[in-house]
Amino acid sequence: MTATLIKPTLPPSTHPFADIIHRLEAGGSMLPDTPENLKQIIGIYKAYAVPMDFYWRDLLYIGEQVFLNPLPFFKYFISKEYLQRPNDYACANCSPLILRGEAVVHPELMYFIEKGEAGRKLPKIMHHLWHGRVNMEFAEACMRSMFWHKDINPRFNDYLYTDTYKAAADKAIRAYFKRNPVMMGLYKLFPEMFLEKVRELSYYANLGLFWEVMAPVFFEMSDIYDEGGFAGVPDAMDFLVNGIFAVAGRPIYHHAYINGECFEIIPKSAGFTWLYEAALPYVEAIFYRTAPFRGTKSYNAQAKQVPAEQQNFHYGILYADLFPVGSAGIPPTLLMQDMTHFLPDYLLETYQEHGRGEDDLLNQVGVTFQRSMYNVTSAVIQALRCALLYPLDDTNPEHLKANREFFEQNLDRFTRPEARLKEIQKQKYR
Amino acid sequence: MLSLLICLPVIGSALLFALPEKYVRLGALTVSGLSLLWTAWLFTQYDMTDLGFQFTEHLTWLPALGLNYTLGLDGLGLLMVGLNAFLGWIAIYTTAADVERPKLFYALMLIVSGAVAGAFLAQNFLLFFFFYEVELVPLYLLISIWGGEKRGYAATKFLLYTALSGALILAGALGMVWLGEAANFDYETLTQIDLSVSYQVLLLVPLLFGFGIKIPLIPLHTWLPDTYVESSTPVAILLGGVLAKLGTYGLLRFGFSLLSDGWQVLAPGLAVWGSITVIYGALVAIAQQDIKRMVAYSSIGHMGFILLGAAAGNTLSLSGSIAQMASHGVILAILFALVGIIEKKVGTRELSALNGLMNPIRGLPVISALLVMGGMASAGIPGLINFAAEFIVFQGSFRQFPAQTLICVIGTGLTAVYFVILLNRTCFGRLDNERAYFPKVTIGEKMPAYVLAVVIVVLGLQPGWLLRWGEPTAVRIIIPTTKVEAATEQPAIASLSPEVLLQ
Repeated sequence: MTATLIKPTLPPSTHPFADIIHRLEAGGSMLPDTPENLKQIIGIYKAYAVPMDFYWRDLLYIGEQVFLNPLPFFKYFISKEYLQRPNDYACANCSPLILRGEAVVHPELMYFIEKGEAGRKLPKIMHHLWHGRVNMEFAEACMRSMFWHKDINPRFNDYLYTDTYKAAADKAIRAYFKRNPVMMGLYKLFPEMFLEKVRELSYYANLGLFWEVMAPVFFEMSDIYDEGGFAGVPDAMDFLVNGIFAVAGRPIYHHAYINGECFEIIPKSAGFTWLYEAALPYVEAIFYRTAPFRGTKSYNAQAKQVPAEQQNFHYGILYADLFPVGSAGIPPTLLMQDMTHFLPDYLLETYQEHGRGEDDLLNQVGVTFQRSMYNVTSAVIQALRCALLYPLDDTNPEHLKANREFFEQNLDRFTRPEARLKEIQKQKYR
Repeated sequence: MLSLLICLPVIGSALLFALPEKYVRLGALTVSGLSLLWTAWLFTQYDMTDLGFQFTEHLTWLPALGLNYTLGLDGLGLLMVGLNAFLGWIAIYTTAADVERPKLFYALMLIVSGAVAGAFLAQNFLLFFFFYEVELVPLYLLISIWGGEKRGYAATKFLLYTALSGALILAGALGMVWLGEAANFDYETLTQIDLSVSYQVLLLVPLLFGFGIKIPLIPLHTWLPDTYVESSTPVAILLGGVLAKLGTYGLLRFGFSLLSDGWQVLAPGLAVWGSITVIYGALVAIAQQDIKRMVAYSSIGHMGFILLGAAAGNTLSLSGSIAQMASHGVILAILFALVGIIEKKVGTRELSALNGLMNPIRGLPVISALLVMGGMASAGIPGLINFAAEFIVFQGSFRQFPAQTLICVIGTGLTAVYFVILLNRTCFGRLDNERAYFPKVTIGEKMPAYVLAVVIVVLGLQPGWLLRWGEPTAVRIIIPTTKVEAATEQPAIASLSPEVLLQ
């Protein structure tokens, strides 16, 4: 169990999640610290990181290379260059060295791309049509969610409507359609439509750059766990907190490559950073909000089953009801399907021992993913507390009170009936 | 030849005690399977052109009592024997592999099956009564030992009601022989007696109440919901699928057929009784919160259709009633089998607690789909087994009793209402995360429902295969024995033949 870091100088919290508040105050995570939880979250980080290694590459490929292709049928068939593209945040590419491990594409991903679910070499299109592929639909749903919930990323979003951005985008659009009079004509008729499309592509780049960092973070966590390195869930959370601070200032930009020429639609010099313009909006958009997804459960907007205000959306993975498959905000089935291909053996064995084994694997993977994302959210909350408030071992009662209020405000969002915070406290929830 | 259907299960039940415990289930399935195969062979040998009893066996047993061991089969009997053998095997297959005291359980199941076969084969009223009573004891034990929480209460109630039913039937049988001055209780002998209409009405009263308890007709039904609900799934399948048919079978064979003039006097009242039973069963089913109890009340409602068809008493309506007896048995069997699986896996039968079972991964999607099909079949959706049977009952009875028939048509609509309630609450909606950790339904557990579903669909698409067995009997029992030849020549009846109608 987590050792208490501070001498309790505050009275016990009266919040409905008082136990969890006290755990956060003690440096813990929203997820209870049990060996089973640690095994589950690390295992799923690894299984998530492999498709994520493809997601970020393809997102950047779409944002930078596919760009405004009016018929982007092959946007998920990324070029060899992008598949082999070294990760800027791993190994020797990163200065100072933050994450160890190779910067190249993960071998399990390469094997899967080549042989798919069939386990044999087939033409790419066959793997794609038979779902022996990484499902980019999930990644695009996340991107669209960030793009749509504009209020959560005000600085970045405002920039997309500045003259500087418009001019850069215009330059890129004209270069891209230089030899295409039809598209140029359409651009003249409907310039805003094309600009909006470029804004969306900027979010492709934004999310791609965010995941470029997260993939090696998760790989490294998996490696450390395999070496017996993490003592508990708080250790794993602390690793994430440290990782967040280490790469917080990395630039978020959007470059498009047209006929070999680089068009800096959002230059690095615009000053957008990984933590504030990518990580925090990502957590808000994907973990909390997203959008109602019409899976097995349908939402009726006219019957007011969908909130009128975007900030009231709570369809993210932290709220997702994973039992009816496909009912969560993002299409979780596709992500879970992706993750099932890369589950470590120890996690697969755990799933076999519970529920219906293979038959409800997607559900079990989904619940584990939910647990792991509560841990990531805990890391974000602790990182924000660290950045904006006071250390947990501060001796000033006023500071501790401020910390507590901060934690309580964050946990207020989980008092909604849809939130699964209560469920993840129990190991039975699978 | 027919005795084998009685002897095989009874001898088989005794042999089970000699088997090691792990082979008892297999042994019971083998014995039951042999009975089923033998019945299937009888179907292949049955001569459709012969309207009389076939494969007859006769042995003088106790002449002083008028009790003879007389067996025979006509279309009605063959269909019922087939239903008994089929559902008997299904019921044994449905039994949980870890059932307690397996030797006794399977032996009792086989004895019930043998006794019921005996009742359907008996062509001596006293012999029928003998088998009718014999099945009581093993059924009482099956309910009271392997039943639910209130099994003692349910078993005692079942015993008392059915014993009273037996006493009334015996009174009717004795009255028939004494008043008709018959030499014995043989069916052929009883067809020759000449009773006045008033005597016939008098004798029909105990028979109607006696068989009415078994069917059951309201207000004689109060034993049924408790008994069905408290019985284990295989016993419920036997009770609802087969045992209830003993009541309608007895009413047609010994009431309608032997006391036809009296029957005609009572027919309008019987039609009203049938339609009230249909509406009452449906309305009470709508109000239920326990899905097994809902199915039980659904059973009561559907038995009303059979009485309506019997009351109308023409070839068409009787053919429909006979077909309805078989379709009711098959549908009830699948519904009880499915409800049993749901109860076993989810741990409850309460509508308020059940939801989202259609969930493809964590729910019971196949069971839910089959439940939807069972509900549709019960509601008389075209293409499924019950449609043709109900339609022909209505077609036949509408001429004589239009008002009662229309009430029954409304009853079929109400059937759809309670099945929509059941399916909507059970199969659809959000799966409750607190309880959605149901064990997987194995292929073995699903198998009986699959087999029953195939029968429901095949006989729904080809209803002639079901209706053809009842038609000769319908002709025969309208004007029994000697007048059969003349009856078949009547163009009015022949023109209403379901075979003709379905072409």
